[in-house]
Amino acid sequence: MTKALAIQAKGISKTFHISEDSHNTVKHRLFNLFNPPRAKKVQAIKTMDFDVYKGECIGLLGRNGCGKSTLIRLLAGVYPTDTGTINIYGNTLLMNLGVGMSHQLTARENIYVSASVLGLKIKEIDKIFDQIVDFAEIREFVDTKIKYFSSGMVARLGFSIAVNGGADIMFLDEIFAVGDMKFQEKAIKVFESSWIEGKTVILVSHGMDVIKKYCNRSAFMKNGSLVYFGDTDKAIQMYIEDNH
Amino acid sequence: MIIGILTDWFRRSNKSERLWLLAKIEFKLRYYENKLGLFWALIKPIMDIAIYYVVFQTIMKQNVPAFASYLFIGLILWNFFVESTTGTVQILNTKKYLYEYSNMNKLEIYVSTLLSNTIGFFFNFIMFLLFYNLLEKDTTYSTIHTLWILPLFINLYILSLATSLILSNIYVIAKDITQIWTVFTSFLFFLSPIFYKLDTFKAALPSFDYINPLAGIIINARKATMEGTYPDFKLFVFDFAYAIALLMFGTFLLNKLGSKAAEKL
Repeated sequence: MTKALAIQAKGISKTFHISEDSHNTVKHRLFNLFNPPRAKKVQAIKTMDFDVYKGECIGLLGRNGCGKSTLIRLLAGVYPTDTGTINIYGNTLLMNLGVGMSHQLTARENIYVSASVLGLKIKEIDKIFDQIVDFAEIREFVDTKIKYFSSGMVARLGFSIAVNGGADIMFLDEIFAVGDMKFQEKAIKVFESSWIEGKTVILVSHGMDVIKKYCNRSAFMKNGSLVYFGDTDKAIQMYIEDNH
Repeated sequence: MIIGILTDWFRRSNKSERLWLLAKIEFKLRYYENKLGLFWALIKPIMDIAIYYVVFQTIMKQNVPAFASYLFIGLILWNFFVESTTGTVQILNTKKYLYEYSNMNKLEIYVSTLLSNTIGFFFNFIMFLLFYNLLEKDTTYSTIHTLWILPLFINLYILSLATSLILSNIYVIAKDITQIWTVFTSFLFFLSPIFYKLDTFKAALPSFDYINPLAGIIINARKATMEGTYPDFKLFVFDFAYAIALLMFGTFLLNKLGSKAAEKL
């Protein structure tokens, strides 16, 4: 029996054009009106192909700046690719220090908006609303705008929405760096429970224990290239060697 | 069969609920945040009407019958267009939180924001009907032809959505569009028959009601709501085609430029 695809990436690449704004003064700007600032090309993702199947938990390893976050943004459909195609089968959630929330809205409104964006119906959100609030430990501030929240509270709320809302395909970028120690323990407990069961997860983490424990396959990236994709132990080994 | 598929899709999908939720929140943010709240939505057109009434009826003596109602309907249609276009030039920046973390269709952000403006429009339209039927002197009451406002409003909605898509996607690569559009709307305001006598407008700018789609919508809305007649169908079809063509261009820009919004803005 063939496994069902969750993500199919073929020949994808991404280059950023970063402009260097050297016209810092009004005089400079006026005299260089038709002389645009220099642009620099940064090839963040070099051409790569891979498939991810439904229900897999994939670890993504690599040193800072190797292109992990850009790759998951491409896969989540946040950035367009320069070349190649990405086929996504299901709705996606990208999570790094929380999910998208508006600071102009209250916690209650953000819960409804974010969970709705994740594909939940209002009745379904009503059912999990209390769970989200209690898990995030913000019961007293549920009708307060989140601009008055501490960064930890915002992060907890985002994590709680993601945990209770979920999506078919989840891209989790360093999610265990959220909140204080007590909350981190709670986050790991959730991860160990049935949260990711049946879901496709791409997990970016520098915590080798987490990757080793949950990921059945892993990828190792270096300077925008996908160097290895397969056995988790081997990917971890390559990452450790790269750090020495 | 098509209706069956669509009904089934709507039942399974949460898109319609999401659009309504976003529209309600947008409406709340716009009106409930201020001290005057919803009251502002009511007094804004009345204040505008008072200003233009004094200038064009009292000082310039245009002698347009039922001029206050004439202004009222023109201004609420114009205000919807301006709020839906000028107010959404930076929408891909202000609503980034909605598409930066998921693969939500960006078009939903536009549709819900304009839906929120629609709530405001119909609130104003009810005020117009009350004003026209209860306070305006020497006029006939509204007739069944008033219902033509619905297709005319759909035309205006599509036109506003299309313009909003074009402007906000150009904003991704050229932020100067905000200033340019502000100047252009001032120009368009004076080139629309909002406070001019229609005969004066047509004599000074012949066929201009076919070039400016807003002019056609305003002219037809007055025919339906104040004159109690059918709209000018030629003008109506022309304006609809105009809106659809612009919407296709706007959608093209959304796919071309809007997809880069997360990395450019």
